[in-house]
Amino acid sequence: MKTLLIKLEPIIWALFGAGMMVVALLMPGWLLMVGVAGPMDVLWAEALSYDRMHGLFGHPIGRLIAAAAIALPLWAGAHHIRHLAIDFGGIARDTVFAPLCYAVALAGSVAAVLAVLAL
Amino acid sequence: MSEEKKTFVVTRFDPDTDDAPRTETYEIPVQADWKVLDALNYIKDEVDPSLSHRWSCRMAVCGSCGMQVNGEPRLTCKTSLSNYGSTVEVAPLANFPVVRDLVVEMEGFMERFKKVKPWIIEAKEQAAIEGTHRQSPAELAEFKQFSMCINCMLCYAACPVTANEPDYLGPAALALGHRYNQDSRDHGARERNEVMRDEGGLFACSFANECSEVCPKNVDPAGAIQQAKLGNVIDWATSFVVPRGGK
Amino acid sequence: MSARARVDAMKSSAAPPTRTADPSPPDHFPGRGNYLSYVAFGATGILMWLAAFQVLRAIRALGAGEEAWNTMLASFRHPSYVVFHAFLFVGLTWFALRFFQVFPKTQPPRMGPFARPSDTFFKVALNGAFVVVTLLIALVLGGAIL
Repeated sequence: MKTLLIKLEPIIWALFGAGMMVVALLMPGWLLMVGVAGPMDVLWAEALSYDRMHGLFGHPIGRLIAAAAIALPLWAGAHHIRHLAIDFGGIARDTVFAPLCYAVALAGSVAAVLAVLAL
Repeated sequence: MSEEKKTFVVTRFDPDTDDAPRTETYEIPVQADWKVLDALNYIKDEVDPSLSHRWSCRMAVCGSCGMQVNGEPRLTCKTSLSNYGSTVEVAPLANFPVVRDLVVEMEGFMERFKKVKPWIIEAKEQAAIEGTHRQSPAELAEFKQFSMCINCMLCYAACPVTANEPDYLGPAALALGHRYNQDSRDHGARERNEVMRDEGGLFACSFANECSEVCPKNVDPAGAIQQAKLGNVIDWATSFVVPRGGK
Repeated sequence: MSARARVDAMKSSAAPPTRTADPSPPDHFPGRGNYLSYVAFGATGILMWLAAFQVLRAIRALGAGEEAWNTMLASFRHPSYVVFHAFLFVGLTWFALRFFQVFPKTQPPRMGPFARPSDTFFKVALNGAFVVVTLLIALVLGGAIL
């Protein structure tokens, strides 16, 4: 497992980098609208309606954006959490933490693809 | 002439008599323009000849005098006493085994250096009759900053990854590897990159940036490492397409 | 809470000729100055996971039908949920701004034929992209366009 992870580090790091950019650009807007403005009723009444949102995310580009907005941040988060665990727990924990963190990211990525296909 | 006094709390460790490092306190007269190194030399010359510490050039080019000063890795020849209050704590560099007093064991550092193959790797042996390598100022500019390292090891003392990963090559070694990868005379990037992406290599770095914060020569090892990561990923990807890669 | 240096930090392959004392950890880790900023940056990884799983929940609700979607939206109205989302928003915005701050030094001096742009260019481009994209998302999700 350790050897496999070392071999895959370049691609994991590339996913992490892409994930950070996706988080930085896409997440604040989504959280502000869907998480704060929407519930506080400051949007146009039908803005977050099922029909409209399903139309947006059912479109091929919408599906792609949704999948990327779920999967890539999971890889970025996994990498951050793994390194935080090393900083506070030492490298010995990495044999457990690294596979765990990336397994969550992988599972979430698969779930993301399945979710957008089901739209 | 008014005499200012400062108190120095200095870590001492004698492997023959001490189980673990301890501190000793010295109150000495200091001059306004002194560096921390001047104070340590005064302590050794006038107060306690048993104190051991490394130093040489006194002008921040040899990299010998790195120590923790009030908890921060500093070159003591470059650190003014006027930056500090009445008490100054001097300890050996963090993250290194301690040989004696303020002297740390450097062999681990030297071994990590060698691993990145810090020399020009030629594509083919160039006969002297063919002349010298030609390098433009623009080509030099691509790596010059990273060649300014004086091996003072302050970056290792500041690095949280060095504290936790015994195999980590460390900021100076990785920055030096990047320096050679960037050198237009070098053709060893492919083999160097294999070492640099192995265990304890580039990807162990979590970009704390502490190394660059403490570097006295503005080498910016953190920048070198992040740039090297990108280069390494590209090299890794192209290695599947072009097995015996060029530069 | 502070990290400890491993006793084999910076160890050499052969034992030193005399007995050495164990390495000490960096003094100011994790709570002071730049270390604190670095730890906070790493901790945003948890916020990323929370936000990503929220998006996943939303997409699954969309796939499950109108009732599931409306139930989810109704749950978002709870004050604790609004506070939670606001916290994620603030945390990830801080993350974005710090990421853009450190991003320029990660770029190589040359990418193929193109020289590296200046730090000012990166600052304007990245922060500008953040503003433009956030605005775009706000306009789309807010109902003004598309």
